[in-house]
Amino acid sequence: MPDQNISRRTLLRASGIAAMSAFASPIRAAAPEPTAVTPALIEAARKEGKVVYYTPIDLPVAELIAKAFEAKYPGVSVRVERTGAERVFQRISQEYASNIHAVDVVNSSDAAHFIIWKRDGLLAPFVPEDVARHYAAEQKDPDGMFAAFRANLSVIGYNTRLVKAEDAPKSFADLLDPKWTGKIVKGHPGYSGTIMTATYEISRDIGWDFFEKLAKQRVMQVQSAADPPKKLGLGERAVMADGNEYVLFQVKESGGPVEAVYPGEGTPLSLSPNGLFKAAPNPNAARLFQCFCFSPECQELMVNRGAMRSLHAQIKEKPGRRPLGEIKLMKEDAAAVERLSEEIKARYTKIFRV
Amino acid sequence: MASVELRNLTKRYEKTAVVDDVSLRIEHGLLVCLLGPSGCGKTTTLRLIAGFVEPTAGEIVVGDRVLSSARRTLAPEARKMSMIFQSYALWPHMTVADNVAYGLTLRKLPREEIAKRVSAILTTTKLADLAARYPGELSGGQQQRVALARALIVEPETLLLDEPLSNLDANLREEMRFEVRRLHDAYRYTTVYVTHDQSEAMTTADLIAVMNAGKIEQVGAPEDIYARPRSEFVARFIGSSNVLKGKALDAGHITVAGIAVSCTGAGLAAGRDAAISIRQHEIHIDRAEPAGDRHNVLPAVVARNVFLGHSRDYMIEIGDGAQLRVVTSPEEDIVPGSKVWLRLPAQRCRVLES
Amino acid sequence: MGAFDVSLPILLGFSAALCLLILLPLSWLVYYSVHDRTGGLTVANFVALATDPTFLDPLVTTVILALSSAVICCAVAAPMGWLVARTDMPLRRTVRALVTASFVTPPFLGAVAWELLAAPNSGLLNKLFRAVTGAEPDEHLFDIYTLPGLIFVISCYTFPYVFVLVANALDRMPGDLEDASSILGASAWTTARRVTVPLAMPALLAGALVAFLQAMTLFGSPAILALPAGFHTMTTKIWSLFQYPPKLELAAAASLPLLLLTVALLRAQAVILGRRGYSIVGGRQGDPRRVALGKWKWVALAATFLVLLNPVFLPYGALLNAAFSRVPSEFVSFENLTLHNIAFVFFELSSTGVAFRNTLILCTGAATIGTVTAVVIAYITSRKVIAWHQALGFLATAPVAVPGIVLGVGLFLTYTRPPFVLYGTLWILLIAFVTIALPAAYQQLQSAFRVVNPDLEEASRILGATRLGTLGRITAPLLRTSVIATWCFIFIGVIRELSAAIMLFTSDTKVISVLIFDLNESGDLGAIAVLGIIMLVFTFAVVVLINRIPGFGAMRLRNN
Repeated sequence: MPDQNISRRTLLRASGIAAMSAFASPIRAAAPEPTAVTPALIEAARKEGKVVYYTPIDLPVAELIAKAFEAKYPGVSVRVERTGAERVFQRISQEYASNIHAVDVVNSSDAAHFIIWKRDGLLAPFVPEDVARHYAAEQKDPDGMFAAFRANLSVIGYNTRLVKAEDAPKSFADLLDPKWTGKIVKGHPGYSGTIMTATYEISRDIGWDFFEKLAKQRVMQVQSAADPPKKLGLGERAVMADGNEYVLFQVKESGGPVEAVYPGEGTPLSLSPNGLFKAAPNPNAARLFQCFCFSPECQELMVNRGAMRSLHAQIKEKPGRRPLGEIKLMKEDAAAVERLSEEIKARYTKIFRV
Repeated sequence: MASVELRNLTKRYEKTAVVDDVSLRIEHGLLVCLLGPSGCGKTTTLRLIAGFVEPTAGEIVVGDRVLSSARRTLAPEARKMSMIFQSYALWPHMTVADNVAYGLTLRKLPREEIAKRVSAILTTTKLADLAARYPGELSGGQQQRVALARALIVEPETLLLDEPLSNLDANLREEMRFEVRRLHDAYRYTTVYVTHDQSEAMTTADLIAVMNAGKIEQVGAPEDIYARPRSEFVARFIGSSNVLKGKALDAGHITVAGIAVSCTGAGLAAGRDAAISIRQHEIHIDRAEPAGDRHNVLPAVVARNVFLGHSRDYMIEIGDGAQLRVVTSPEEDIVPGSKVWLRLPAQRCRVLES
Repeated sequence: MGAFDVSLPILLGFSAALCLLILLPLSWLVYYSVHDRTGGLTVANFVALATDPTFLDPLVTTVILALSSAVICCAVAAPMGWLVARTDMPLRRTVRALVTASFVTPPFLGAVAWELLAAPNSGLLNKLFRAVTGAEPDEHLFDIYTLPGLIFVISCYTFPYVFVLVANALDRMPGDLEDASSILGASAWTTARRVTVPLAMPALLAGALVAFLQAMTLFGSPAILALPAGFHTMTTKIWSLFQYPPKLELAAAASLPLLLLTVALLRAQAVILGRRGYSIVGGRQGDPRRVALGKWKWVALAATFLVLLNPVFLPYGALLNAAFSRVPSEFVSFENLTLHNIAFVFFELSSTGVAFRNTLILCTGAATIGTVTAVVIAYITSRKVIAWHQALGFLATAPVAVPGIVLGVGLFLTYTRPPFVLYGTLWILLIAFVTIALPAAYQQLQSAFRVVNPDLEEASRILGATRLGTLGRITAPLLRTSVIATWCFIFIGVIRELSAAIMLFTSDTKVISVLIFDLNESGDLGAIAVLGIIMLVFTFAVVVLINRIPGFGAMRLRNN
């Protein structure tokens, strides 16, 4: 839907439409009470001394958040463990299977993971005050186990030095043009949650034969959704078929010759939640960190310096970027991703041979 | 005061018996030589006594303790023995003093005591000036004395020597022979000395055990072995002997090359094959045919004549084709090809038992 | 004296530990491969592998990869070995040092460096090519994201194995043999062809086999280059089986062909080398005589340096460039010179400290435990202390037949279940690294033991020292040079180990090699360059230390 009134309600609705099944099913009568940051919590966190954050967020941005937290709460250090969301999930599974509880707070760009974790009883119910006040019901778990940390878009992109704006692809269908053979880079759903979600959404809205045809374009396959924008920035490929919008913006805003394209068929979206684990080794530090993550301070940092999209009601979009409400988005369906993820990976592997 | 006794000692490797049913009793305080050619089993016997090798059968008893048997073997470090190796085995990373003191430091004696004893024995062995040197800086003779000092300082009950003089030059060897005997007499331990050199054995030993192919051929005092060799092997090995083979006529006579020869020693069984030995310098050469009694006179032809300065060494062939070596004073010079008569004094013709 | 002698029990204890170390993971591997999820016995895993093209393709690719790599390595390393060992080419010692540099460079780091150099569009070499020839932006000279590209990178870091074997064999060949040929009238070329080459053949064949095995079992380089190129190798395929939900039985089943192939090739190598009498027979021998190359020596030197550009000069240059450049694919200039990457690695990247600490602990621990174990086992086998010492010697060299990633899988299966749940601790990584390092360490020390006269130990024992006491007072000090060298050798090997580590690490037990690998996933090439350079500096410091030890000439190179 191209032309929309840019009203806050529309914004909410657009993102709300996008935020569906992950946040749909309550298992208790009411969410836990919201928690504000208190000196007692800070003190308890300081005693623990550290918090471990597993996240697929691109490392410089993740470390940015970590350093901001450490600056605000000296005495609590953050260790960021960054890999693609699918690999984060695999690692946590492996660790929990051997009774190793190393992770405190987790972020995933594949919301299906949270469905699984919640179902397995691994998450701790905890609602930061900001989440209670400034996040719509569709953006958080009714039982308070997790909330949408950011809106994550997977966009098409191109290198402006290698491609003229008028020649650039405007849709997924454009990518199948023979002139792009050997010039495309894309991520892999086996490693990246963003790409897993995008692959599901594209296969649902456009169909699997899009991928079959795309495979014939001899795409350069990378792992993380944070990599294609960087490969564009290097000039290694001319076009990216998918990849993190915020990383692309970061490359552009630091002078890289790149530009984003929002595909005509719709831009794949994932609402990337943050949650705490029940068996977290540093529970208080985890809570403090989670509160920080949803605070305006952190969200603003993410928007201004991380080029991300926040769902915090008080945070404005950065000027110069197309507002979320104006973008045609593909609907997210985490429950379906959870159901189909193995099949998606297998089919993708078969088509792209890796 | 303990004797060393080998009882039916046997060591087999695969099917070969390297030491074959050896029995020997060595009273305490004696110096016994195991004498024989290489491969006769003397070194293996020594190593069996030391405990480096375990017997396949038989026992080694020291005093009334069974040190080695087919079932159990006491470790070398517990046997209260000392050994001097053919290679001396001086530890190159330790000084002379440290090498010598090693045994005492193992016994955890106080440092002053060790220093005193080391100093004493270095003086005895004339090594006092070399205490701070390393083995690599010493001559062969000096190294040998260090090995001696190291072995003697621990006052062993039994001293084992494995061809200790074979790496020295001839003069030094002679000097060291007497030194070994002198020290033995001074300290009065039991010594087992392995060598292939009969003059060494003759000079130093109280008792000689001649070994061949894993067995002891004859045990006795040096004069005994020399004067009354009981087998062909011993006869050949000790003192330069000729062995003549023939058939026994009666208890005291043997036919050699058709001539009757009367001999001394053990009785012969008439009609059987027999052998006698006679030293090379005990045979007389007559140029002219002797008149009268033809007993013990063999016609022969000179094959070779070598002038050695203090003697002449003849190779002479007798009637049955056997060749005898005869040593005479240098004056008589009989050219090869001459016909001569060999006179064999009856009391010098010793019957060989094997 | 007279206290209970603990020597024998301790030695037996070491032997038992060795058995557990080697046999446990392999047993679990076999167990998993023939069982299904419900625990029933089955061959379904093997059937699945044999019939699924997504498994067969990687197998074929791996074989092609290994064969090509082995051929290239021989073609390059053999002439170089001859030039260094047998001719008067100048700068021979420098060449040897540079080959050592190639050997200690981790292959996965080389792969990243070659991405920087030869990515078809952004690679530095391709940019140079276009600048110089004025070619179209689409054209490129090299494309590293291809099977030939991967073969090239693997060969760069595998050829040192062949080089060392050939050069050492030629070093040891006495000049008398070639003199005998020339006296009879043969020209230098004929002598080389009919005497030198055949005598060096066993070393060449051994080298070719080692190169084949190395190329077949590498994980890091294929993981970095094959995915963008669009194919899997056996090692990356096995790794991908651990993606959620993990298919452990298939991973185990897929590991077995690699294992069996390795064992078969090692047997073949032993047979080839064993049968013929290639040892030098005869009396006293003369020094090797050097072939005078005349004016060809400069050509030879140039060619050698041209070859050494590939594993050493170009990649190291690319890494240095990327470390200081704002954009890794651009040449450093005053405009884009930056220390941001260094600042990022040291001050922002929160895993750096953990990774360095873990690496240091594991390197030191593995080197120490590995050396001690190797000394004890080598002592047992060379002095024949225990009745079954031959089996022990075999076990100590057995891990060489287990590819790193296969060992990783085996260890994962063994230590993620009771009674020993070591997964998540540094212990499991320590076990992996010691197991991998043991064969080379054992062989080095065994050779060293042969040089020590057993009389020296017996002299100590007869004076009253126990076996272990003798080992400590007499043997170990005499072996000091070899012991230190072995320690350093293991240290270097562990720094760059990736294929087992990638299976066994958790966030707390991450090491530098895994950190670099993770950074590559998200394309953080600048940070990789900084970490890689630090790794190399560390490694070279240790190598220089080894070479400072008197009497230790050309390193004996084996195992990854």
